[in-house]
Amino acid sequence: MPSASKEIKSMPENLAIKIENLSISYKINVESKKTLKNAIMRASKGERVRTRTVEAVKGLDLEIPHGSVVGIVGANGAGKSTLMRAIAGILPPTAGKISVNGRISTLLALGVGFNKSLSGRDNIILGGLAAGMSKAEIEGQTEAIADFADLPEGFIDMPVRTYSNGMYSRVAFAVAVNMTPDILLLDEALSAGDAAFKEKSFNRMRQLCDEARTILIVSHALSSINELCNHAIWMHKGKMLASGKPEEITEQYLKFLNVGELPSSYEDL
Amino acid sequence: MIEGANKFQVFEPHSSTLPPLRPYFREFWRRREFSTELSKFSDKAEYLESKLGKVWLVLNPLFLAVVYFLLVTVIQGGRGQSGGFTTLCHILIGLFTFYFAQNTILLGAHSITSGGSLILNQAFPRALLPLSSAISAAKQFLPTIPIYVLIVVIGKLFFNDSSLPGLTISYVVLPLLFLLLVVTSFGLSLLFATMNVYFRDTTKLLTYIMRIWLYASPVLWQPDMLNGWHRVILYLNPLGPILSANSRIWIDGLLPTLSQIIACLFWALFSFVLGAYFFISRERDFAVRI
Ligand SMILES: Nc1ncnc2c1ncn2[C@@H]1O[C@H](COP(=O)(O)OP(=O)(O)O)[C@@H](O)[C@H]1O
Ligand SMILES: [Mg+2]
Repeated sequence: MPSASKEIKSMPENLAIKIENLSISYKINVESKKTLKNAIMRASKGERVRTRTVEAVKGLDLEIPHGSVVGIVGANGAGKSTLMRAIAGILPPTAGKISVNGRISTLLALGVGFNKSLSGRDNIILGGLAAGMSKAEIEGQTEAIADFADLPEGFIDMPVRTYSNGMYSRVAFAVAVNMTPDILLLDEALSAGDAAFKEKSFNRMRQLCDEARTILIVSHALSSINELCNHAIWMHKGKMLASGKPEEITEQYLKFLNVGELPSSYEDL
Repeated sequence: MIEGANKFQVFEPHSSTLPPLRPYFREFWRRREFSTELSKFSDKAEYLESKLGKVWLVLNPLFLAVVYFLLVTVIQGGRGQSGGFTTLCHILIGLFTFYFAQNTILLGAHSITSGGSLILNQAFPRALLPLSSAISAAKQFLPTIPIYVLIVVIGKLFFNDSSLPGLTISYVVLPLLFLLLVVTSFGLSLLFATMNVYFRDTTKLLTYIMRIWLYASPVLWQPDMLNGWHRVILYLNPLGPILSANSRIWIDGLLPTLSQIIACLFWALFSFVLGAYFFISRERDFAVRI
């Protein structure tokens, strides 16, 4: 687990997240499965494990003030999810430093900690506990969360395995936004549900951000990023390619998607 | 509001040394409710699948104990006749106790690798997952004690068997012994849970180890069948002293010997420190390796 040390108070008051020169890499076993048997076989032949290092995030610097809504765009494999997990304290940095000021709620993958044979209500409790709420707190909010998810009559007490995809993601989303987090991390979670639910979730996010809470959104829905965010960054192969007004960033990114080339000014990266 | 959660956090590269332990254990303790509830909900999910599940949990060790008893009696060629009922009770209480350790270790060893999406998407002290397994194992174990007592009472009333002790003062040591058993098994489960992240066949291997471990433990045989230096076997086994002391209390109605208590304390401390060291120093790596 990450630790809170004392020096951090050096972080400027107005920042919710400060990322300095962050690099994160994954180590992957190239060949055989990770078993004791294989390890012993290799050792007896005097071989070493061949691993490959994937640098998912490279030398990233970012400062996010309280109350901002930041959109993150980029192709698949650009390192967006890795960055989100690092901010949540799940993945340790390989180099660099992340300082976070505030309680974090994550919706990094749909159905986090969801047990399919339990009811939606049980899953709400489990989800809240996993995120660090106490049982009393989460029980006080279960109704509000169930209301927000607004499932068809009676479904909240049915096993989650009977849910449709949309219903499933609505519950997950409702849990994440109702924890009143200081910092909300959403990884490709915006597409949850139909138009009415989308409207409701946008309203809820605007409300959170009016309360000076910070939201990071990874999404491929560029129009949603334009609508919700006041800042956007574009990640490409682990690096931050551009950072600025959402409209400008999404336009550049869209152009890149259509043309398939990076804007000439980025070529040296 | 998520009360008491760390507000300021810094994430930096780590070596494989320990993180500051005090914040770790504070956070671990603050979020213990997650373990108890997770255990409750995973048990609930399991019983939803099979209604007989709960009954089976008690019946299974009971049937096994009877099978083992018959086996042991046959092997001994009837020599154990005099204390037949005592032997059965020794096997029963030993098996119930051993199964608690086995369940804690096996469930705990699986808990990290099977908690994949939870580990990839939430930050929490990972030791809460094996703790939840230990809680589930305890909830299986505790109901077996009244059943054991019931069997002893039936033996005393209906078969006039007077070889087993009635209520004795030595029973007050049992909660302490259980605590040491919990600490020992939880420590070992942390060790194997860590190993299983690096070597995915650990749990498979562990099922064989547990079987051998059972035969090497004073469950199917009595601790005083060993003489002289053979008694070392009892003390080299992390569960040996606990199981011997356990049988001494339940079957002989005597307090554990001093050497038993010292050995129990040693193994509890050793397993816990070793397991916790490996687990806590590696757990920041789990998300990368799941
Ligand atoms: N668990 C993992 N183990 C190994 N490599 C990974 C893992 N997760 C992601 N990667 C690699 O890291 C890079 C970034 O992935 P990711 O952060 O998921 O990108 P994005 O979310 O932007 O699509 C990719 O090259 C991917 O292959
Ligand atoms: Mg992703």
